Amino acid sequence: MKVSDLLAHGFEAVSLPDGEREIDGVYIGDLLSWVMGRAQMDNAWITIMTNVNVIAVASLADTSCVILAEGVEMPADLVETAQQKEVNILVSSQPIYETAVQLAGLLS
Amino acid sequence: MKELSLNILDVAENSVKAGASLTQILLTERDDVLTLEIVDDGCGMDEDIVRSVTDPFYTTRTTRKVGMGIPLLKLACEQTDGSLTIESVTQEANPVEHGTHVTATFHTDHIDFTPLGDVSSSILTLIQGHPDTDFLFRHQMEDRVVELDTRELREVLEDVPLNSYDVMEWIRGNLQEQYEMLPEDSNPSGED
Repeated sequence: MKVSDLLAHGFEAVSLPDGEREIDGVYIGDLLSWVMGRAQMDNAWITIMTNVNVIAVASLADTSCVILAEGVEMPADLVETAQQKEVNILVSSQPIYETAVQLAGLLS
Repeated sequence: MKELSLNILDVAENSVKAGASLTQILLTERDDVLTLEIVDDGCGMDEDIVRSVTDPFYTTRTTRKVGMGIPLLKLACEQTDGSLTIESVTQEANPVEHGTHVTATFHTDHIDFTPLGDVSSSILTLIQGHPDTDFLFRHQMEDRVVELDTRELREVLEDVPLNSYDVMEWIRGNLQEQYEMLPEDSNPSGED
């Protein structure tokens, strides 16, 4: 499934420089240093953190997209940074668990 | 990071990379505030670089495009309503007194405070990896102080490398003893 395919399932795009990217698996975590070493390439990464380091970790771990759960908002200047660094960011209005369950359904 | 001690390790490594001959790691706990200072006499950074090191997309590494040491430390402070400041003097600006002083403050009673963790291990890792540079570690708690100065060890040890097994074990034991020492057992001569 492509990142842009999520838009048809209630996810909203915050930054979508590369919607064609394929999602392979999901990783969940808010402790950035932890995620940095454990998220796999092409994972969709679900978090509620919204600081510049999220963009850096997504870039470093080469995740296919960041999914901000609970409808949290990314500050506008960071949206710009995400676009510059070509990091896909989507928002889900659902809590983390429900977002993960929804993704599990969509990815299977 | 799960423990601040890992942040400390990361940032102190930057000091060593900056060519520091002495890196000081100072922890002070007072009234629910933990202050961490990492002070080195390395080559220093100019204003532009100081501004950019808190940006994760700035790094001196060539192997990857982001550097997370300072950004994650800053995040850890700010999550507790604390702050991070960096002062630096370059070798060009002052050939005698140059270096970098990182100060991070944490409110330890904040729910998002990251535990300090095993600082002794971080100090040991630093000494093991860089036996030819000096480290001063000082942890001032409300009722006691833990201190280790590799310059003092070097004087006693003469030519024995600091990262030899016996020395490392001695340092490990010494730090552990200092941490476990009860305040009333503290050095009667008043020395710290």
